Amino acid sequence: MFYRTARLLWAFIPIVLLSCSEDDNYIPVEEPDLISPVVFDMASVPYQTLSEYNFFEGPMADLEPVYGVLPYDLINPLFSDYAKKKRFIWMPSDLQARYTTDHSVFNFPLGTVLIKNFYYDNVLPEGRTRILETRVMINKPEGWVFANYVWNDDQSEAVFDLNGSFLPLEWEEDGMVKSVNYRIPAGPECHTCHKIGEVPIPVGLKPQNLNMILNYDDGSMNQLEKFINMGYLADELPESIRTMVAWDDESASLKDRARSYLDINCAHCHQDEAHCAYRPVRFNFDESANDTKIGVCVEPDTDLGNGLSHIISPSNHQRSVMYFRLNTNDEAVRMPLLGRTIIHQEGVDLIYDFINSLETNCQ
Amino acid sequence: MKKFTLVLSLLFLGSMSWAQSSSDTCIDASTATAITSAGLYSVDIIDGTDVPDPLCAANGIGADNGEWFRFIPAATDYYIVSTDSDILTQNSGKDTRVHIYSGSCGSLSCVAGDDDSGGGFTSKVGFNANAGETYYIAWDDRWDDTNFDFEISVSVPPPSPPVTFTNLSVNATGSDRGVVDMNNDHLDDLVSVTSTNININYQLETGGFDSVNITTSEADFTPSWSLAAGDIDGNGYNDLLYGGTQGVTFMYANSDGTTFTEVSGTEYVFSQRSNFIDINDDGNLDAFVCHDIAPNVYYINDGSGNLTFYQGASPIVPKGLGTHASGGNYGTVWVDYDNDRDMDLFIAKCRGGSVTHKWNELWQNDGTGTYTNVADGAGYYASNFPGEGHNNSSNLGDPVQTWSSAWADFDNDGDMDVYVGASSTADGGHKLMRNNGDGTFSDITAGSGVVGAPFGIENSPADFDNDGYVDILTNGSVLFNNGDGTFYLLSDSMPPSGPIGDVNNDGFLDVFNGSVRINNAESGNNWLKVTTVGTTSNKNGIGARVEINTPGLGTQIRDVRSGEGFRYMSTMNTHFGIGTDTSITSVTIYWPSGTVDVITNPAINSSLNVVEGETLSLEQSIVDDLILYPNPTKDILNLNATYGFEDAVYTVFDMNGRRVMNNRFSSNVIDVTSLSAGNYILRIMHDGVMASQKFIKK
Repeated sequence: MFYRTARLLWAFIPIVLLSCSEDDNYIPVEEPDLISPVVFDMASVPYQTLSEYNFFEGPMADLEPVYGVLPYDLINPLFSDYAKKKRFIWMPSDLQARYTTDHSVFNFPLGTVLIKNFYYDNVLPEGRTRILETRVMINKPEGWVFANYVWNDDQSEAVFDLNGSFLPLEWEEDGMVKSVNYRIPAGPECHTCHKIGEVPIPVGLKPQNLNMILNYDDGSMNQLEKFINMGYLADELPESIRTMVAWDDESASLKDRARSYLDINCAHCHQDEAHCAYRPVRFNFDESANDTKIGVCVEPDTDLGNGLSHIISPSNHQRSVMYFRLNTNDEAVRMPLLGRTIIHQEGVDLIYDFINSLETNCQ
Repeated sequence: MKKFTLVLSLLFLGSMSWAQSSSDTCIDASTATAITSAGLYSVDIIDGTDVPDPLCAANGIGADNGEWFRFIPAATDYYIVSTDSDILTQNSGKDTRVHIYSGSCGSLSCVAGDDDSGGGFTSKVGFNANAGETYYIAWDDRWDDTNFDFEISVSVPPPSPPVTFTNLSVNATGSDRGVVDMNNDHLDDLVSVTSTNININYQLETGGFDSVNITTSEADFTPSWSLAAGDIDGNGYNDLLYGGTQGVTFMYANSDGTTFTEVSGTEYVFSQRSNFIDINDDGNLDAFVCHDIAPNVYYINDGSGNLTFYQGASPIVPKGLGTHASGGNYGTVWVDYDNDRDMDLFIAKCRGGSVTHKWNELWQNDGTGTYTNVADGAGYYASNFPGEGHNNSSNLGDPVQTWSSAWADFDNDGDMDVYVGASSTADGGHKLMRNNGDGTFSDITAGSGVVGAPFGIENSPADFDNDGYVDILTNGSVLFNNGDGTFYLLSDSMPPSGPIGDVNNDGFLDVFNGSVRINNAESGNNWLKVTTVGTTSNKNGIGARVEINTPGLGTQIRDVRSGEGFRYMSTMNTHFGIGTDTSITSVTIYWPSGTVDVITNPAINSSLNVVEGETLSLEQSIVDDLILYPNPTKDILNLNATYGFEDAVYTVFDMNGRRVMNNRFSSNVIDVTSLSAGNYILRIMHDGVMASQKFIKK
């Protein structure tokens, strides 16, 4: 099924290109003339302020990227207390990322910068958009380093801060007022999720989570094709990519949606060499087709009481540790461990439906 | 789900069920035809309006309906009530829960209850019932309201466990975290916490509790990961430490313990186990908090109750206290493992993957407040901090994934052993490590009976049956100590994880979580509790070694600890079971200050309150032939004596009586280079004899 989907995407791309070239008004961009104005000095980064990088043009809060700062999105993003995210990637000229596997983060060249902006719309009382923080990862000779830039209240500048802090706010979404004591992470919190063994790594930038059409200023295009066109990715992708479904895509199967949700929200700790690898579950998409790996009929190491018999007790959400941990705000038992302080109701509903759809007999 | 191991002596297997039908309420059942004997019975649907209460089975509230039967046995016997789908295959896939009562409707008492001891999610429970007495068997729909059959049969009663526990409901609000004295009467109180409230059930001398809610300002951090108690400012009332996901909050009790002042740290700490302990041995209580993902943190007390935050190595603690850059610190116990009368630090560690920060650590105190890891099994400290002397000489360096480990002298040979309880099998199972008395540990897991214990995050020592051998509360089961280096595991009807203490002052240890699990004290064994009040040392006497001698059992030891196991705060009153011994020869308290108190022949089955320095100490003598040279000295003191120094502990006091050095002899030479110039007293302590001599440091 994934193969078929991927083939369709790839088949679609030449058509898009063809239709562009047939446009009489289309003027090819003279790529060699464009030089990214981003300011990047390997020895000096991370800078003390976000503006020093010159990632954005115009008022910084508009997050309009300069040339070379390429927007990207994920098929499945991590739930972060309903914060919205705008993501960008920048690379030094003449360097390219390399593909390894569908489920592995691209092998990025030194100097790659990942830029993720966290914001809420309709923040009360003014109802404005409020950018809270911009998390930056930079691939340096010593490895990926974390930087975090906390935005000031007038949204004119963001300053380096890895000490961690809280920002209570209320916002309106779908006609409802929601509130959060928003957590801006400290350095070790970044490392907790972004690592394999003790080595820091990005999480989202895997072919399986990027293989989607995105709308760019100059039209829509498959992101991976865009990366290649931009010169950011070597043109060596396999013919098909085993791709996740969007967790909220109701046309996909419950199982594929649940596996996709679990991958981005849980696998950074529950995979080989990760923070909680000593637990029996594996939520990374490349392993999670196996029900036992995601905890179906698996008894938990830790008895949480409440009659919770298995990580997933088929057709029995109230006996399932997974549902219990996703559906609570008690920080002693909630999952994910970090990055969430309020319940992701839509995600919980998905897991509820998924568990209750299972018919395995554990005995 | 199957925990029940009884062999049924009499089994009624049949497809025909008896005529008695269920009632919708207890009252209806009280006039319905009673069941009088073994047989097979049926419930069509659970839709009765009378929800069984109180709950006698596990897994809490959530039922909306119940079905009731009256049971008046014709014969006194041990009866089993079962829906076990392994035998009653028609119950396959059913999810039942049963409560069995005595008494009358409206004032029912639990006799037994069960949720999941049968196959799948079915139930199975046994109880003794007397001929002609009325019992009620009530099923609820906590999980499932569909029809099922159940069987009543007669069986051989199981062997009696050494102790059983009875549920006692208490009026508590918040997360149940502590069993510790909060009002200075040496009786353990119950502590439950929310972000804006401290609920204390004060234990009354007359029995029972006075439940008091003390509103606090909203704590920035709540004790999701651990609670610790200790009297930071020495005003007689314990202060609290909340270990939260993103930081640490202290709650300072006021001068009469009726209000708390919140002080939340600004520093980022992913807290795990926390402890109060005098880290730098200045007589003031400091705080320590495990950091999950960075080097551990500690808060040094300036003597006025003001705490200063440190992380990693510092001028106070030169090599730090667990400084791995990636953390992995889960459960700490401060323990004097090497019997040199200062507290060392064991860190139970955990982390996925092939990483070095999952290896457990043991930080040995050299008696001057400098700590060195002697469980550097991965070599991380030797390579990252070369020249600091880290090694794995203790043999406790181990990657086993543990969130807490239980330290006690399990074999009563005078030194602290450790049960390393695994949280998962990823890097090996449970381990029992025996202290060899020379700073090393041997693995005696094989055949010790600990292998089958449950996995989980809580492991705490406690002598529940007062037989003089310390047991282990481990994740809802108890490893009972056989007294010969082996344990046997009891899982049925044991307390859940929770803080341990004596909440009814009967000398038997109880557990608090949700309700109080009162120890029924079946063994009838004798006991002693020792409560410690420091004067020169910190007020609680945390870090003191308490040693008792009884004629039959010999020597038992405890450390006064604030914080063991993973999450909870258990009593700081040291508790000793003494089995059938009817007298106690002596109680010796080695205080952190160096003061030694000895109490001879205290009463058994009582609490002994000891104020530091109030008793006659060990006999002091000057050994005639003890010669220190050179004296005065710049660096080295040589001791020339016919007296044997093997295993002796020396302590150096300044002229204000403050302890400045402490250690065991490794040779007849003491290095005093670190002392500033002045006059000092060297004290040597061995086998209950102390000898002192003055010397001058140039």
